Amino acid sequence: MLNIQNSFRLFVVLLSFAFGYNVQATENISTETETRPESARQVVEQFQKTLLDVMQHGSELGFEGRYKKLAPAVKKSHALTKIARIVVGREWKKLTEEQQKELVDTFTRLSISAYAYNFKEYSGEKFEFVSEEETARGGKIIHNLLVIPDDNDVKFDYMLKKINGDWKIINIIADGVSDLAVRRSEYTSLLKNQGFDVLIAKMNEKIENYAKQ
Amino acid sequence: MMYYSNLHIQFKKGCVLTFLFSSILLAGCASTDVAKTEASAAEVAAEQQNPADPYEHINRKIYGFNDKLDKYVAKPVSDAYLWVTPQFVQTGIANFFNNLNDISVILNNTLQGKFEKGAEDTGRFLLNSTVGLAGLFDVAKEVGLEKHQEDFAQTLAVWGVPEGPYLVLPVLGPATTRSVPGVVVDTATNPVSYVGYPVQVLSLLNSRANAEGSLKFIDEAALDPYVFTREAYLQHRKYLIKDGEIEVSHDVADLEDAFYEDEEESFGVVETTDRMDADNAKPAEQENLAKTEGYTLKLSADKNGFSQASESFEDALKSFQEASQSYQEASKKLDQIKH
Repeated sequence: MLNIQNSFRLFVVLLSFAFGYNVQATENISTETETRPESARQVVEQFQKTLLDVMQHGSELGFEGRYKKLAPAVKKSHALTKIARIVVGREWKKLTEEQQKELVDTFTRLSISAYAYNFKEYSGEKFEFVSEEETARGGKIIHNLLVIPDDNDVKFDYMLKKINGDWKIINIIADGVSDLAVRRSEYTSLLKNQGFDVLIAKMNEKIENYAKQ
Repeated sequence: MMYYSNLHIQFKKGCVLTFLFSSILLAGCASTDVAKTEASAAEVAAEQQNPADPYEHINRKIYGFNDKLDKYVAKPVSDAYLWVTPQFVQTGIANFFNNLNDISVILNNTLQGKFEKGAEDTGRFLLNSTVGLAGLFDVAKEVGLEKHQEDFAQTLAVWGVPEGPYLVLPVLGPATTRSVPGVVVDTATNPVSYVGYPVQVLSLLNSRANAEGSLKFIDEAALDPYVFTREAYLQHRKYLIKDGEIEVSHDVADLEDAFYEDEEESFGVVETTDRMDADNAKPAEQENLAKTEGYTLKLSADKNGFSQASESFEDALKSFQEASQSYQEASKKLDQIKH
């Protein structure tokens, strides 16, 4: 009997090694001073703070309240104009100036609405910083974990670029799925095949649906 | 922008295998947009294609069929199941089928040379089958043994079999040519395939019910559910093959190129200094090459296959070393416990 217990313990000890790496996730605390231009990591963490705050007060705020609270935070931390340009790819240059403006505006509203709709509840989720990585062309990737109680962690990677001296989020990769890449396929395909008006109409339809709930 | 965060919360909330199932099982997303997107299918086929999806025209049609099947058959049944079944029963059922799936996970971990993970999953299976009452409770998770996601299509990928074109299978949903034999082997290694049909029906219900969150999310967020599903499926599969250790910067290079693309002609919104740097241009080029890998693999499967196979052998060796190292550490710890 003792033997069985021992070997079971060995087994558990052995297997727990594989998860050892999870422990160090929160240890690297930033030593950077809080100077005016925020570091890439600070931009991400500031935004996550707002997000968690909105989630915690989700129901009392309602959709509109969440939208209002999130709008400045999303605009500040995300390079929305840039993202809107990337998701339509080469089609951007074929658009008139007015269309470009309309696209950026609609895309901004859609992004904020999606946040406001999807982050309405809080059940103890938290973000943990894991590491920071520099890309080949001077961008930064902030690796995070979204820890959900009673569930598996989600790997969250924020990709940032410096725009006019400020770090801005241009992509989020969740468990290997890159939001920007998915969006780009969707938007370019729609724009090419069904035209600008249909794209904008679909985006507005999504915004309306989000606001309804 | 951050639709995905919630998608993944929902993924996780649904079930560990949610995405896989959502894709495999009736990957519809009850949306009225489908008719419209279908209408454009011909143009899509005629226009420039995604190299990963040469059969988009027919794929879209099957996607539309699956979508209707889901909307009118699977979803109503699944909704009824969710309505009548208490949450703890649903969880128990999901755990039960997850546990049976662990057999296939163990097998595939072993076939891929991931002995350490295979050992973990064996532990999971033994623990859950006994203490967890035939898998109804995921007690292994409580001890820190998380479930891994492995299947035969991933094993084939590790062995160097090229991904092949994207396919949408009738009823089964998104796949690639590589995952077709995968589905066959996975079915053969799942005990559910050998029991009576009531259990199989329950298994299907469970899968669809667990996919509800993801399907709802796609329906809410996607402008073109077909493209959305395809991109998310292909990316997530890649992520699973690499066991989540995919170097993000690798995938990001292409997007970084896109980041600068529109500036070549515009009035420098961003820093322009490093843009055309020879050093910087080079890795970007390599990344581009890597991006078209799926396509070139078809033409030169032998060479790539060989290098991938040798890589996977190295991985296997590494994992074997890791396993033996952790054995040593474990016995050391055990000694400490004894004293």
